[in-house]
Amino acid sequence: MRHDVREKLARMSPDEQTLLRPLVETSRTFYISAAALGAIGLWGLYAYYLQVRYGLGRTGLNRPEYWGIYIISFVFFIGISHAGTLISAILRVAKAEWRRSITRSAELITVIVIGFGAIQPIIDLGRPDRALNIIFNAQFRSPLLWDVMSIGLYFFSCTIYLYVPLLPDLALIRDSGIKMPRLYRFLAAGYHDTPAQRARLERVIGVLSLAVIPIAISVHTIIGWIFAMTLRPMWHSTIFGPYFVMGAIYSGIGAILVAMVVLRRVYHLEQYFKDVHFDYLGRMLLLFSLLWFYFTFAEYLTVFYGAEPAEMRVFWAKISGPFAIPFWTMVLGAFVIPFVLMSRQATRTPRGTLIAGMAVVVGMWLERYNIVVPTSVNPIWELESLAHYMPSWIELSIMAATFAGFILLYMVATKFIPIVSIWEIREGRQESVKQVADRVATYLPDSSLPAGVVES
Amino acid sequence: MRERARIVTRWGMVIDLDRCTGCVACEVACKSENNIATVPPDQAAMGRAKSWMKVVAEVEGEFPDTSLHFYPRPCMQCDNPPCVKVCPVAATYINDEGTVAQIYARCIGCRYCANACPYTVKYFNWYGPEWADSERQHLNPDVSVRPKGVIEKCTFCHHRLQQAREDARAEGRVLREEDYQPACQEACPTAAIVFGDLENSTHRVRQLKDDPRSMRLMEDLGTAPKVYYLRPRE
Amino acid sequence: MSPSRRSFLWTMGAAATAYGIQDTTRVFWSPEPASQAGWTPGIEKHLTSTCLVCPARCGIRGRVVDGSLIRLTGNSLHPMNRGGICPRGVAGVQMLYHPERIAAPLVRVGPRGGARWRAVSREDALVLLLERLRELRSAGHPETLALLAGFCSGTMEDVWRQFLTAYGSPNYVADDYQDGTESVMRLMHGIDRRPGYDLERAAFVLSFGAPLFESWWSPLQAFVAYADPDERNGQRPRFVQVDTRFSRTAAQAQEWVGIRPDTHGVLALGIAYVIIRDQLYDTRFVADHVSGFEDSIDAEGHLREGYRSMVLRSYRTEEVSAATGVPVERITSLARAFAENQPAIAVCGMDVTHAQRGLMAGMAVHSLNVLMGSVNRPGGVLFGQDPPVAPLVTPVMDDTATIGLARGPAGGAGPQLGAHGAANRFAGAVVDGEVTVDTILLYYSNPLASSIHPQTWRAALARVPFIVSFSPFLDETTSQADLVLPDLLPYERWQDASPPASYPYPVWGLARPLVDPGTSGMHSGDAVLALARQLGGSVAESLPYDSFETLLKQRARGLFAVRRGMLLGNAFERRNQRRMEERGWWLAEHAEFEPFWQDLVERGGWTDPFFDHTDPARLAQTASGRVELMPDAFARGAVAAGLGPASYLALDTVKSAASTDFPLRLIPYRLSTLASGTLALERWMSEAPSLFPNVHWNPWVEVHPETARALGFHDSDYVWVVSSRGRIRAQLKVFPGTAPDNVCLPYGLRHPDGALANPLQLLDGDHDVLSGLASWSSTFVRLERA
Ligand SMILES: Nc1nc2c(c(=O)[nH]1)N[C@H]1C(S)=C(S)[C@@H](COP(=O)(O)OP(=O)(O)OC[C@H]3O[C@@H](n4cnc5c(=O)[nH]c(N)nc54)[C@H](O)[C@@H]3O)O[C@H]1N2
Ligand SMILES: Nc1nc2c(c(=O)[nH]1)N[C@H]1C(S)=C(S)[C@@H](COP(=O)(O)OP(=O)(O)OC[C@H]3O[C@@H](n4cnc5c(=O)[nH]c(N)nc54)[C@H](O)[C@@H]3O)O[C@H]1N2
Ligand code: SF4
Ligand code: SF4
Ligand code: SF4
Ligand code: SF4
Ligand code: SF4
Ligand SMILES: [Mo]
Repeated sequence: MRHDVREKLARMSPDEQTLLRPLVETSRTFYISAAALGAIGLWGLYAYYLQVRYGLGRTGLNRPEYWGIYIISFVFFIGISHAGTLISAILRVAKAEWRRSITRSAELITVIVIGFGAIQPIIDLGRPDRALNIIFNAQFRSPLLWDVMSIGLYFFSCTIYLYVPLLPDLALIRDSGIKMPRLYRFLAAGYHDTPAQRARLERVIGVLSLAVIPIAISVHTIIGWIFAMTLRPMWHSTIFGPYFVMGAIYSGIGAILVAMVVLRRVYHLEQYFKDVHFDYLGRMLLLFSLLWFYFTFAEYLTVFYGAEPAEMRVFWAKISGPFAIPFWTMVLGAFVIPFVLMSRQATRTPRGTLIAGMAVVVGMWLERYNIVVPTSVNPIWELESLAHYMPSWIELSIMAATFAGFILLYMVATKFIPIVSIWEIREGRQESVKQVADRVATYLPDSSLPAGVVES
Repeated sequence: MRERARIVTRWGMVIDLDRCTGCVACEVACKSENNIATVPPDQAAMGRAKSWMKVVAEVEGEFPDTSLHFYPRPCMQCDNPPCVKVCPVAATYINDEGTVAQIYARCIGCRYCANACPYTVKYFNWYGPEWADSERQHLNPDVSVRPKGVIEKCTFCHHRLQQAREDARAEGRVLREEDYQPACQEACPTAAIVFGDLENSTHRVRQLKDDPRSMRLMEDLGTAPKVYYLRPRE
Repeated sequence: MSPSRRSFLWTMGAAATAYGIQDTTRVFWSPEPASQAGWTPGIEKHLTSTCLVCPARCGIRGRVVDGSLIRLTGNSLHPMNRGGICPRGVAGVQMLYHPERIAAPLVRVGPRGGARWRAVSREDALVLLLERLRELRSAGHPETLALLAGFCSGTMEDVWRQFLTAYGSPNYVADDYQDGTESVMRLMHGIDRRPGYDLERAAFVLSFGAPLFESWWSPLQAFVAYADPDERNGQRPRFVQVDTRFSRTAAQAQEWVGIRPDTHGVLALGIAYVIIRDQLYDTRFVADHVSGFEDSIDAEGHLREGYRSMVLRSYRTEEVSAATGVPVERITSLARAFAENQPAIAVCGMDVTHAQRGLMAGMAVHSLNVLMGSVNRPGGVLFGQDPPVAPLVTPVMDDTATIGLARGPAGGAGPQLGAHGAANRFAGAVVDGEVTVDTILLYYSNPLASSIHPQTWRAALARVPFIVSFSPFLDETTSQADLVLPDLLPYERWQDASPPASYPYPVWGLARPLVDPGTSGMHSGDAVLALARQLGGSVAESLPYDSFETLLKQRARGLFAVRRGMLLGNAFERRNQRRMEERGWWLAEHAEFEPFWQDLVERGGWTDPFFDHTDPARLAQTASGRVELMPDAFARGAVAAGLGPASYLALDTVKSAASTDFPLRLIPYRLSTLASGTLALERWMSEAPSLFPNVHWNPWVEVHPETARALGFHDSDYVWVVSSRGRIRAQLKVFPGTAPDNVCLPYGLRHPDGALANPLQLLDGDHDVLSGLASWSSTFVRLERA
């Protein structure tokens, strides 16, 4: 760290010092990890180059297994993206004060991951050169088109929703002069944290957090509908919309938990990501694990009772057939582990939530796999179905690169923006304690008045 | 605007399972007529071989009480085609005469239609078609060769309709039933495949589709196929 | 990061991106048909010809655009296939434009089989062969020239025979796998001809293993009988298939009867038992036209048991049921149905006759036709006639030729009752040094791949100094050749092609070039004519024809002159012609030969839809003038062959698993999608050779589910099919239509690398001592994991 920067930093408040340090100080491990992730990313690019050059034949896809890893990744990543925005929006709307230190990291996940999710269907196209046909020849009855629109809108609104609450922090960095003054002058866009600006800012955030919730719900509903609008066994299901939304939030919470544990360690944020955060998020995870179980159970039970032959073929393929291992691993990861760990206070610790969060992420990836693949290989007309699916190294490389790219971008982003919202913490310290006390007071019956008397 | 006689035409097919011997002449005739390339052995083993017409065999029972039924399966040319609804770019669409067509030059290769088709009749070009140089000579100039990355399927030999129309116009007469017959019908040695206009009471398909033996595949799905099957007798 | 390192990385990245973009921009370019680049409306022709892909010889039409053959369809005027076509016929376009076609005549360079060749001109190639042939003749040894003729009939066969005769070689070696029924007919009717079947007008067809709808002599003939809408008012014969496996024919027949291998003859006699016991046979016909039915006293005063006693004594239903595995009631009902639905036909498949007691079994099956009088009457078994084409000139033989011919065919005449297996006897004689062969010509024959004894052939060919192949493909045997003179493909050449004997009405089908032959090959017929011309002398006099085309035209004059029959025509024209001829009328369509010929080429051939059922010579030409149920020659042959006086099949002839080492019986069978033998396959066919949806480009073996389970195999596992003679790698297909103790392996399949997987090469060598035919379904194997 340059000397003058250190001095500038030293003059700042302790919150600011801790939270801005990562912007100006980079460890060796960071460079090494970044290089490794970058290498994986480049490898994936090379794999994609081969795929474009020679055709989708380089994947393990076939007839009737038309969709594979890319679509799984697509659903998965867009699902993860619900982490952020949706959670932070809900917590904001609900005025949950404990949100203050976690919203930023969640919103950042969202924005980055949408991008990586959104490119998956393009990677999956046989003719990426014609991707724009979707605009020139749009056919509005196609759920795929709804999806393009809703994801576009989602990306747009999430970016704003990340950016607007960033403004005071960007202004702070600009004013502190610790890093790239020109860049931050541009980013801060003339924000000076005047009371008028602050008020406007809070109003905009309030509106955005309301707006972003239906958009996010629509996104994953429509992704569910992409499957549900076909006649394929175990896709054609009305539960898919809500099921996908629920699953998305679930995987999002899992992802945030993992991110928080890592950030807490590498950037020493123990004071910001406290045990209570993990405890609360752990409770949410518990709730969602139960929801997940409820939805999944409902889904499979209806199929089982309906007992349509085509559906039963997929059903048994998952329960006891060739997909039994991914299926039961999914149940383990998406339900058993998080449920067991999160239902006890003693394991709702950072370590416990880390394990549960990872289990959920893996479990939810497998859920997408278990939705896409078993149905694909079991078409309704079973007379000639002898399909199988083994992703090729190209697909696996591209998937690895997607993960690597996401982590890399997230890492790099933490070098440019404070991963915990400084002004919101400050605001919390300065105002919300009192606000909360006042608010809580309003919840309570007024002890000074006798019952039945209304204060005029 | 284009003026069109208000006569509805809906091309359809009736396949008599009682006559079909599973000889697969229709399959190969379709491949020959429609420039369907083979794929190398490893690709075929992966399930990437194409056959717009596929004779599917259904076996029941064990030796010596076995029975077997053949279902020659082209695209069902649904009146209510799930594949058409889902295509984001209208590269697969249902034309005025009910035939579900593909625009290869527009298809983005998302394979959504392929997933939506309950009959699994859509084929994707995972790689570009490969023809030995010598084999290019037998390509049918009336039918375009599909590039890699797009979906293809049975078209009811649509190019033959265009040809037949032109011929009829040139000869100044109306289109007759026998003018437009697809390649699979033409090859079938037992005349199990009958093709024509389902709305035209003089065409044989019109009569046969109302036969008591008539059925359609997975009728309950509501896709309203224009390919009918006549159940085997007995 | 130092600036130079950074800029280096940037440069690298930029370069890689630029390369990637540059490299991928053209990847979506789509190949168009050659004719679509700068497309102009092509010149389109539809030409009639005959399919030469298999012995069925269906009429076809080719769509030719700008000189390229685009599509093949059936010729609707052809009386046998009536516009239908089989998948192999359609795939002919891929045979014509097969990438493995030999581009020019080849002369071997380096060691034999070394796959090194020098391309030469057609003239030079002919000269090479000519010099050799001149030498042999001048050395006084014309018999050291041999021809191995596979798929060879009609004028092509006549020309080869005439050539060899005039040249002086008795070694026209037929490698053509007769199906054995001609021997049955010679014994029982005195007519040396494979029988025809009037399926179209039959009411009941009982097929013993004949794959009517798959790979029979003419599947299209069977299809027409099954489904022709015009001629039969929706009435079709009732087809009953007796088979060891649940074949596609069995599937489509109205009834199928699963049976133990090698017991078809026993079942036939079991059916005869019921027919005789219940007095259901045609007593008039038997009394008037059949001998050997009743017991008789021969010239020496011995009692000779007749067919009736023999059947009633030895083929009681219960015993037959136990031997064949067909339930008693089933036998009885089959017999009743056969007798009551007249006219009925019993058809005998090749695997009935290609068995250890094949000749007897063939006779047993045919005896059912005789019992019901189903011979030489509409809807029965008919003996057809060859089309009355003009003969070739009488061959002229000089002294050299006479001497050569007198030396007799290599390998001798063969078994008295069958005269089959000539090719293998020839190969044996060469290996044993009994004969010397200097030059062997291979025409349509690939014994190294198709023979049951490829090792014998390998040894035999090694002893032949000069091997000439006329094959257009570098098949296994052609690869060993010293000179290759590639034939034109069927769509490029003139040839006459009559349907097989199973179609009883005479048809002279004509194959003519649909496309220009180009310069790659030479019509083998023209090559023979050219050789004869250049050899000069008596050989040239024996084959005084300019070209094969003119020769065929010459032969057609016979049809023009015969005053019966018609050029191929539609159903109406055929019916009309038949009615006229029935009344003894005939109207000439053409006054001149030239327009007759033009029209014949246009329509694809000549036919005569009228069959004279009153001609007794078409029923029997035996000494007695009657049909022999218990032929003397057969009894004598059996005694001579050491089979004892047993005049007919014994019930215990069924071979069972010799040892636990080889517990499963191997049933080879022929696919509808593959042409006979060993041809390089068309890709469409290799990709989807069967109805198993996931079999592509791979040999496979069909196994009963229980058997597979007991052996611990799953569907699509790779296994070795092992016999005492060898093994074949194949993909296991679980198929419930296979009997639990059999495994079925199709012929003609190749591995993805092109190597052949021929089940005939696993056979243990059993054969019928009477006919000489190899037994194709009596070998036992085991399965091992591969
Ligand atoms: N694997 C296998 N072996 C078999 C059989 C089988 O089905 N499969 N079947 C058995 C039976 S029943 C028979 S009849 C025999 C048949 O066996 P073969 O008589 O050997 O006949 P094929 O193998 O059909 O063809 C022989 C060769 O003829 C050449 N040929 C192809 N087209 C032409 C042409 O237009 N002109 C000329 N001059 N040559 C051409 C090809 O190179 C081919 O390899 O095989 C027997 N053996
Ligand atoms: N598609 C096609 N058609 C062809 C040919 C071809 O290669 N392809 N080749 C032509 C030629 S050259 C020939 S020689 C003929 C041959 O034609 P076929 O004589 O009909 O010979 P395969 O096709 O081998 O059929 C034999 C049948 O016998 C049955 N079988 C099996 N085991 C036994 C047994 O132990 N006993 C009895 N009795 N039957 C058994 C089999 O199930 C099979 O259905 O076909 C001709 N037609
Ligand atoms: S060509 Fe006709 S008989 Fe043969 S499989 Fe096709 S529909 Fe059936
Ligand atoms: S693959 Fe092509 S035709 Fe099918 S839905 Fe996608 S764009 Fe439409
Ligand atoms: S069968 Fe499939 S591809 Fe054909 S129209 Fe119906 S849904 Fe579309
Ligand atoms: S109608 Fe034409 S495209 Fe469709 S299966 Fe038949 S031949 Fe093929
Ligand atoms: S049956 Fe034989 S001759 Fe007839 S079309 Fe098929 S391959 Fe050609
Ligand atoms: Mo044969």
